[in-house]
Amino acid sequence: MSELERSTQQLTSQMRELVDKTIQRGVKGIDYVQSGKTPVGLTPKETIYERGTLQLYHYLPVTDEVYRIPLIIVMATTNKGFLFDLMPGQSMVEYLLKEGYDVYMIDWNPPVMQERGLGLDDYTQDFLPTCIEHVQQDCGVEDVNILGYCQGGVLSLIYSATHPDGPLKNLVCLTTPVNHHKMGLFRLWSSQEHMDLDNLVDTLGIIPAEFITNSFEMLRPAQKAAGQLRLWDQLWNDDFVKSYRAFQRWGDETLPLPGEYHRDCTKELMWDNKLFKGELLQRGKVASLKNVKVPLMAVMAEHDHIAPIESTKPLLDLVGSEDKNELTMKGGHVSLIAGPSAVKRMWPKVNEWLGERSV
Amino acid sequence: MADDKKPAPPAGFSELVTEWERNFNEFSNQIMGTEDFSRSMNQFQNVQMEMQRNFAEAMAKQLSNFNMPSRDDVVSIAQRLGEIEQQLDRIEKAQLRANGEGETKAVKKKGPARTKKPPVKKEAEKK
Repeated sequence: MSELERSTQQLTSQMRELVDKTIQRGVKGIDYVQSGKTPVGLTPKETIYERGTLQLYHYLPVTDEVYRIPLIIVMATTNKGFLFDLMPGQSMVEYLLKEGYDVYMIDWNPPVMQERGLGLDDYTQDFLPTCIEHVQQDCGVEDVNILGYCQGGVLSLIYSATHPDGPLKNLVCLTTPVNHHKMGLFRLWSSQEHMDLDNLVDTLGIIPAEFITNSFEMLRPAQKAAGQLRLWDQLWNDDFVKSYRAFQRWGDETLPLPGEYHRDCTKELMWDNKLFKGELLQRGKVASLKNVKVPLMAVMAEHDHIAPIESTKPLLDLVGSEDKNELTMKGGHVSLIAGPSAVKRMWPKVNEWLGERSV
Repeated sequence: MADDKKPAPPAGFSELVTEWERNFNEFSNQIMGTEDFSRSMNQFQNVQMEMQRNFAEAMAKQLSNFNMPSRDDVVSIAQRLGEIEQQLDRIEKAQLRANGEGETKAVKKKGPARTKKPPVKKEAEKK
């Protein structure tokens, strides 16, 4: 076959593929527009405790035997926990269950106006200990392990630091910021010089979800438009569209925050960096990370634009744990946890470390 | 001469989008990463809060004129109901404890055996 014939054949094949995909885009585009909400969080679970914004799930085991120590996932307070359970095949919960963990999750509902007075200490000194008690009652085991994501990791660290003799046995922190003075644009936009925080909190009571969403979107203003362009390009690809819609739903269901909680996090963490300095007080107890002595694994994302690596990296130097392990992986704040390749990359590493420590 | 390694048009489009996204984000972050931007954004937010507060006050006055509860009134009632429910919960628990029917800690629940052990690491992996 001559070069010309080969080129012609290649071009014809590419054109045919292009036409096929264009037709499929049209057909599937109509389906996309007409379809309802994407089902997410499908792994069977039961709610074992609920109080206002707080919700505690137990995922039903799928193996004949499980690890002795139950694992509690603590979700970030700004988003729903189904990030860990997007869909079959892209679910860290599903993965952990299959590996034999007894999995619980602390998830959040949108807080209502009467919860506007909930502060940071309510989360770390009431919600977390209460959920741990309910897990203990549910499974009949005193010891617990915790896996905290982003702000969920911050809450877990503060809990551990103020309950050094508590039932927590091992802690995994995913993309958890500890040096809030390295939070980049978030720190700039919420700086004490410019932000009238008290005015904001006192006026609104509950910080709206749109406020939170806009803050995240401002970090990468082109992300939404680029995502839609990629969606148009890949409309023929069912797997891509399913994943896109699941992530879209997760982003759309960003949660509002109680005003006092937002005030505490901004003043104590973002402005004064008290967690990093070891000066944070929670109901009279000092939340010094030196008091965190349990085995700890810190997982960080190299390209994390929400919790920059400069803010997450210092964790191991601050804790008092002797058994500690750090893992830095390529990826972003969300893709590290729930991206399509997380099942081959991050999840097995966490499983390898945590499995030995769950017996 | 044909280049067998030339990417198909769809792959080129994807790369274009990624490049555009990166450049736009970098450019935007440069503008939004300034003190002036932060100051302006927060000033705008303060104006919004002022407007929201004025509107809420005006609405509350109107509702009061129509003898209807404002949002704050409803929230206050909901808060009191919540406190009453918690109080009832405490009374119920105290009564159960008094009758010797209180909850015991770490009640074992039926489920799979808690005997799972991690897979044995191969010698090569351990090294």
